[in-house]
Amino acid sequence: MDSEPTTLLQGTLDLLILKSLLAGEMHGLGISRRIQQITGGTFVVKPGSLFPALHRMEEEGWISSFWGDSENNRRAKYYRLTKPGRKQLETETKRWGRISWAIAQALEAS
Amino acid sequence: MRLFVKARGFVRNLFSSPRVEMDLDEEVHAHLELLTEENIRAGMPTAEARRAARIELGGIEQVKEQVREERLGNWLHSVLSDCRYGLRQLRKNPGSTAVMVFTLALAIGATTAIFSVVYGVLLRPLPYTDANRIMAVFEVNSNGGWSHLADPNFDDFRDQNRSFQAIAKYNQNIVSVSGVSQPSRTMVGGVSPDFLKIFGVQPILGRDFSASDAKKGAARTVLVSYGYWRQYLGSSPDLSQAHLKIDGAVYSVIGVLPDGFRFPADVDLWLPADLDGENPSRTSHNYYAVGRLRDGVTVEQANRDISAIARRIHDTSSEQGDYLLKDGIVLPLQDSITGKARPALLVLLGAVGFLLLVACANVANLLLAQASVRERELAIRSALGAARGRLIRQFLTEAFLLSLVGGGLGVIGAFWGVAALVGLAPQNLPRLDSVSINIPVLVFAFLLSTAVAAGLGAFTAARATSGDLRKGLEEGGRGQAGSQSSQRVGRAIVAAQIAITLVLVVGAGLLGRSLMKVLEVNPGFRVDKIVTMDVSLPWVEDPKAKASQAIFFANLIERLKRIPGVGRVGATSGLPMDGGLPNGMFLLMTQNELPKTADGFGALLQQKERLGTADFCVATDEYFQALGIPLIRGRVFDERDGTDAPHVAVISESLARDKWPNQDPIGHTIEFGNMDGDPRLLTIVGIVGDIHDYGLDAPPRPTAYVNLFQRPRAAITVTMLSDADTRLVTSSARGILQDLDPEIPAKFRTFSQVYSASLGSRRFNVILTGFFGVVALLLATAGVFGVMAYSVSRRTREIGVRVALGAGSGDVLRMILSQGLRTIFVGVAIGIAGSLALTRTVESLLFGVTATDPLTFGGVTVLLVGAALLASFIPARRATKVDPMVALRYE
Repeated sequence: MDSEPTTLLQGTLDLLILKSLLAGEMHGLGISRRIQQITGGTFVVKPGSLFPALHRMEEEGWISSFWGDSENNRRAKYYRLTKPGRKQLETETKRWGRISWAIAQALEAS
Repeated sequence: MRLFVKARGFVRNLFSSPRVEMDLDEEVHAHLELLTEENIRAGMPTAEARRAARIELGGIEQVKEQVREERLGNWLHSVLSDCRYGLRQLRKNPGSTAVMVFTLALAIGATTAIFSVVYGVLLRPLPYTDANRIMAVFEVNSNGGWSHLADPNFDDFRDQNRSFQAIAKYNQNIVSVSGVSQPSRTMVGGVSPDFLKIFGVQPILGRDFSASDAKKGAARTVLVSYGYWRQYLGSSPDLSQAHLKIDGAVYSVIGVLPDGFRFPADVDLWLPADLDGENPSRTSHNYYAVGRLRDGVTVEQANRDISAIARRIHDTSSEQGDYLLKDGIVLPLQDSITGKARPALLVLLGAVGFLLLVACANVANLLLAQASVRERELAIRSALGAARGRLIRQFLTEAFLLSLVGGGLGVIGAFWGVAALVGLAPQNLPRLDSVSINIPVLVFAFLLSTAVAAGLGAFTAARATSGDLRKGLEEGGRGQAGSQSSQRVGRAIVAAQIAITLVLVVGAGLLGRSLMKVLEVNPGFRVDKIVTMDVSLPWVEDPKAKASQAIFFANLIERLKRIPGVGRVGATSGLPMDGGLPNGMFLLMTQNELPKTADGFGALLQQKERLGTADFCVATDEYFQALGIPLIRGRVFDERDGTDAPHVAVISESLARDKWPNQDPIGHTIEFGNMDGDPRLLTIVGIVGDIHDYGLDAPPRPTAYVNLFQRPRAAITVTMLSDADTRLVTSSARGILQDLDPEIPAKFRTFSQVYSASLGSRRFNVILTGFFGVVALLLATAGVFGVMAYSVSRRTREIGVRVALGAGSGDVLRMILSQGLRTIFVGVAIGIAGSLALTRTVESLLFGVTATDPLTFGGVTVLLVGAALLASFIPARRATKVDPMVALRYE
């Protein structure tokens, strides 16, 4: 938790959410913790960014939601990846690959 | 598929918002519970865990608001809720809302009404196909003025130009028309054959003129307007039997023109011009000309073309002198029709624009006062997660609601306003029939309201959301610091209001003073108690027929005199202030000098010292007495001046001064035959007073009067001086005329109607600018009052402290008034500077005063300062009544 949280790049949050949901359905807090874990604590997603993103992505049809019970039998809203969501993840991943390659090239150039 | 999902989301968000909201609320709460649980598992005490969870979440309501903003259709949703909220806000202050809506309605309504006149007269294209390609053509004379075209000059323009597809000449006259149910005085246009082609108009029934219809001596044909056809020809589809007796000759009706085509204005019948042959003189200017430009030819090219032809005529013509054209000019027909009305209309539009600014300033001040009351509400909303942009949008929404309601009411008012304007408008304002509230005017009103809304909304939003909003909460809703600066802005607005009002009232004052100066001018004739009667007999050339017309008029006048109550009865070829008299060049001659040949005249015309110019008026002796035009010396016409006696003339004082500066003109002879075709010499027998026959604001024109019974003419205006009731005189006179000749119609007016119409446009401008000035003055006074009253109420505590510390009521009064005075003086100073810069635009409308008239400037300044001081005095007095004990407990 004490690692310096980095500001998320525009569009990166969507990619990270889609990626974490690939492991299975999850509630909001689960997604948030999962992102923290897979980025080695670099990104901490606050609820103020997470929920708007989740709702927007649901409206886009990339994820769907349902009410379920958590490990400790608490009611929570769960999200899962839809088919268009998987496709979106593929596109986003490719795009991200291109961008990071381009940025790396730019930084190496002298 | 994706679109479907989106649409479903949009609809769900819009229509099942309570369920969506509940779902969201549950989700965020569940998240909080999960966080708390996580913290407890990590070993925190319950209370500590809950607190940490809340901190990590960062405020339930803020998170929810952020989600809402991401939603599909959020904009619509929030616009609707902004509107709902805005309406509630406006309803909460019904008094100030009503004042704001009314102020905006008044200003937008007035601006829309004036714009509809400006649009109808100046901007709306003429109702013809490609109307912007239709040009008017004029001759330019030696002193730079424009004149009508002489026949040979027009023929040269027509035959030599390379710029026009077609070019035609036309004139218009009121003549007597009979042969239908009732004889009438009808406006008749004489036109050359291409006339209708220029306007892209074809008869809806029958045929257009052909070239042979216009040949000298051709069978007489006439085209009629749609309205005339309906009213006088019973809408008959068969024209073969339709004949009209126009000016004594019978014409066959060959066609009916489409509904709405009436060019030149008010014409009902169109005849071929020159059926009696053209006038060979290049200095008799009898026709207007219009032409349609060839495709691709610009107005400049046409001007160069016509100008070159005109100069060639000037250089080669045998007729020389002041009346020969020097140049030619081409301009769009619309400009030539409306050019004279343009300056005054633009001044009115400017004036009403100023009124609008003053009104907006008042509304801005009211909104500003409300916004500072709402500081606390804004603070709460911002603390609950409303972004600044959202708050700005709220203000914009409220401003839009206000302006659109105000604008809507204003447009409704404008319908009434336009009707009033059209009723009030001077008769010489062209195209008045095209003024109405139409789509372009409505679009203008809408855009205007939108602009007002955007301005007001942006202004209040910028004021209200600047600085740290949360301060409002900390100070417990009494943000003194914020209100300090908002009061400064309020005072700046009031100063601007005073400045604009001053400019407006100074403009109105200058126009008003001009009207007063005009009314002070002695017209040189009597106006009241005169009934006028226009009569035209058929135009004849034969001297015998002319003489019998003179006898007809003598009989008519003799019988009119016997109407009870009628005194002097005169006749004239043209009433003063009723369109003007023809003018021309005369020759100074000695008795028995009459040349035998035209060449002899040509030689005389070369002698400049023998030439004079004057207006030419045909009149009877009693005309001078009926109108009270004083005889200065000599005599007017009398029995001695019979048909066979030497012809005589009476001249006006200014002509005597002009042409015979150091001698007595009586006994001198002149030759003025170019005006009526009679070359007999005229002996001057008398001098009469000058009259302002072109309006009080125009100088009197040198005039020569000849005797109707020596120089008969077909169309005259009879003037009857009468103490009897106008209606009785009119009906008796009508009966007498009918008795003499049932085919001759007459038109009756009172001379005071003619006189009053000549002041119409000045009166129109003064009434409107005066009205705008008064309204602006009231608004500005209300603005000063509002700002001062607000400031006093804000300073109640401070004043209480001052009084408690020993300040007398005089000190308090001085303090408040001096604060008001500063604002007023800044406004007045800017206003005077602005007026000095802007009143030059009304210079062309002024008479007898300069654009920087000190009396007007001084008077208006005193008026404005007085009104503003009065408005600040009332709140200042209230301040002196502050009870320190009450004021200190006030908090």
